[in-house]
Amino acid sequence: MNEFLTISIYGTAVALMLIGFYAVLAKKNLLKIVIGLSIVDSGLHLLFVAIGYVNNGTAPIFSPEVLGSTQAMVDPVPQALVLTAIVIGFAVTAVALSLVIRLYRHHNTAAIDEIKNLKW
Amino acid sequence: MIKRIIVFLILATIGYFLVGVVSQIPFGEDRNNVGDYYIEKTPTELKVSNAVTAIVVNYRGFDTLGEVTVLFLAATGLSSIMYRRRRKGEKQIRAKLPSSRIIQIGSQILFPLIVLLGAYVFIHGHLSPGGGFQGGAIIATATLLMLISYRKFKVNHNVISWIESIAGVVFVTVGFVGLILGMTFLENFLPTGELNDLLSGGIIGIIYVAVGFKVASELAGVIDTVLLNNRPEAKNEN
Amino acid sequence: MVISPVHYIALPLMAAFLIPLFGKLNKNLVRLIPGLVLLYLSYISVILMTQVITKDTTIIEIIAGWSPPWGINLVFSPFTGFLVSLFSFLGFIIWIYTYNFKPEVDYAQTQKFYVLFMMLITGAIGVVLTGDIFNLFVFLEITAISAYSLTAFYRERDGAEAAFKYLLIGSFASFLILLAILILYTQVGTLNMAEIAQRVPDMNPYMKGVILILFFVGFGIEAEMFPLNGWVPDVYTQAPGPIGAIFAGIVVKAGVYALIRIIFTLFDVVEVLQLLVVMGLITMAVAEVIAMRQGRLKRMLAYSSIGQMGLVLVAFGIGTHEAVFAAIFLMFNHAIIKGMLFLSATYLVYHSKEKNISDLDGIGKLMPFTAFLFALGSLAIVGLPPFAGFWSKLYILMAAADARLIAVIAIILVVSVIEIVYYFRVLHRIYFKERISTVEIKIPSFNAKFAMLILALVIVIIGVYPDLISGLIERAATDLLDKQHYIQSVLSVGRN
Repeated sequence: MNEFLTISIYGTAVALMLIGFYAVLAKKNLLKIVIGLSIVDSGLHLLFVAIGYVNNGTAPIFSPEVLGSTQAMVDPVPQALVLTAIVIGFAVTAVALSLVIRLYRHHNTAAIDEIKNLKW
Repeated sequence: MIKRIIVFLILATIGYFLVGVVSQIPFGEDRNNVGDYYIEKTPTELKVSNAVTAIVVNYRGFDTLGEVTVLFLAATGLSSIMYRRRRKGEKQIRAKLPSSRIIQIGSQILFPLIVLLGAYVFIHGHLSPGGGFQGGAIIATATLLMLISYRKFKVNHNVISWIESIAGVVFVTVGFVGLILGMTFLENFLPTGELNDLLSGGIIGIIYVAVGFKVASELAGVIDTVLLNNRPEAKNEN
Repeated sequence: MVISPVHYIALPLMAAFLIPLFGKLNKNLVRLIPGLVLLYLSYISVILMTQVITKDTTIIEIIAGWSPPWGINLVFSPFTGFLVSLFSFLGFIIWIYTYNFKPEVDYAQTQKFYVLFMMLITGAIGVVLTGDIFNLFVFLEITAISAYSLTAFYRERDGAEAAFKYLLIGSFASFLILLAILILYTQVGTLNMAEIAQRVPDMNPYMKGVILILFFVGFGIEAEMFPLNGWVPDVYTQAPGPIGAIFAGIVVKAGVYALIRIIFTLFDVVEVLQLLVVMGLITMAVAEVIAMRQGRLKRMLAYSSIGQMGLVLVAFGIGTHEAVFAAIFLMFNHAIIKGMLFLSATYLVYHSKEKNISDLDGIGKLMPFTAFLFALGSLAIVGLPPFAGFWSKLYILMAAADARLIAVIAIILVVSVIEIVYYFRVLHRIYFKERISTVEIKIPSFNAKFAMLILALVIVIIGVYPDLISGLIERAATDLLDKQHYIQSVLSVGRN
């Protein structure tokens, strides 16, 4: 069971990051690049939450039922960090999208080839 | 063709690296880390049911302050980047097409319910999963719903600006009160009450309510700014 | 209320939230408030630095009442305090410069500019002051988002392209840093930098290496290391002039600080220092050679900045006490001198569309004050006495000599000659050529002249009396190298 969980969750996180990187590197449309960035963030956040997991642990909420029992709890710190990281990721995506909109308005195209100054 | 190969190689390297790193981190293992301390202290000293909330608002409250600032800066930066001087007589339009009657009636019913859910989530942040950010995002979704359904629905940027600023000031002021009272910045100076009570957790409740308002207003403002004025711009227009 | 390091963060934040409200009262308050805040920060810098130096102590401030490692703490030590004081002071001077910089910008944009301006500086200060690694990431993002937005501030330029490029590369840096923090947390179980420093020696070497590489590349992007600095020239050119000064003088220093803190305090691995020297040399050499071929003034200054940062990395990489001393001295000098160069250059090419160096022909007679300051800055940055830049170059060369790194000395000398060539080329044009360009010139306003003059005075005074600050820098260098002291000071603070 643990093997399956490990592979599926870690695998999903890595897969998300790779898909996101592919979008950033290979796609020509600015909007798709920004979406790729967002997907990379999602993968990273998933990985973050995954490392906090404790076998047979439950959510770190102290409801009356849980207080009595001796069940282990998952690590709450990565969850707190991810909360912050998600907001930061959103903020960057928002700024990126506003830049895309402005570039689109200016050049009437969203293709990265057309916008000459964007070359390395 | 060459580009595809290069991209494939880069992705393969990154993938190999990530897998190599991740496989070294055993899944589900109970490690000796700070999390244990937080789990131990939260129900006893802070009397808050949600350990994640306690960490976000109290133990690592400084991070949350930074996060709230990031959100504020994103809203400011976004409106600064997309700024256009309005010419005379130019009307601000949002949605291009009116939506059907079903959607309009449905949104009218759903809007107050969603707002209520959002408010519930951020008020009870310390008792159940949820909190300021989650609740604020829910409320902003309600605004989005209304913006999609009605052509004439306007978000009042003046009100948003006020809520944003006041909520932010509340957060920093609560921190300063701790400092003024001779303790450290952001320290909990209110009584902590009983576990699982609505009024438990001292300043955690206040901060999260302020955060909820701030996030809701900011996200709504951001959505509205992006939906505004979608026409392409001439090249030398200022 | 006692003056404590948290004021550096809390007050600007409060001010930033209040600026939109105060703006409704009186539009001029929007421009005034950041100045007052920065003035206050400079003032408390003096007080806190005196405290730290005379009592030979480090001020650790706990946030939210939970002592480290359970809570976050701020560290105001001779080293961090020195940097923060520099940022506050430079920020204030640049604010004086911006007060009526472009009067045609309307109110809504001005308000946003000042909010972002203040947060850019506060973010950098936060990066330096914090003692928690995730907190460092958060402040880095505050700085980054302000930077992306400010780069795209002007509509007439290609700011949006530069900002987008910056955003992509910056996001990649954030990704690497966050991944490194993730892996670090699984290995040591804590986020507090002092405790990490304590637990790192017992870490799995493979993971240690992985984390180091991730941090090195991630912060290297922010510190403008080669080959990760592709974003720099476009961003420095497209951003508004004073913002370019802040990027070169403050933001990149915060990036370098983060890199250095990771290497010196958290990880303490000798091979990385050697890598740092090599990367620094490559950065410096490549950047200065490219600078020589630039036809646009701000782009030339941008490449020159990258080169100087490379030199700073080399100095840190050498690792001896004298080298670290020289590196910190160079950081200080570069911030002030480059700041002044950007500020004066902005006025020299104010109305020029392309900001070409050829537009500067003969401008020495038309704008004598500004041109003179630019010349002074040029002489200072290539390291000529009696200006401040001379001392830092000298100390680095001496440190390299003591470490018997002949190759390093040779490269630095060659690069210095290259610098002299391209800066003097510009000065030659300014003073000895006839004016052919028809671009209108802009005389700087009184406050801009005042700001630039203050920076120039600092350059001259430090050049003649380097002992005025070499004592401070000496303490800063000792503090940085003393890892045990850092760990002890932080972890011995007991509250809960």
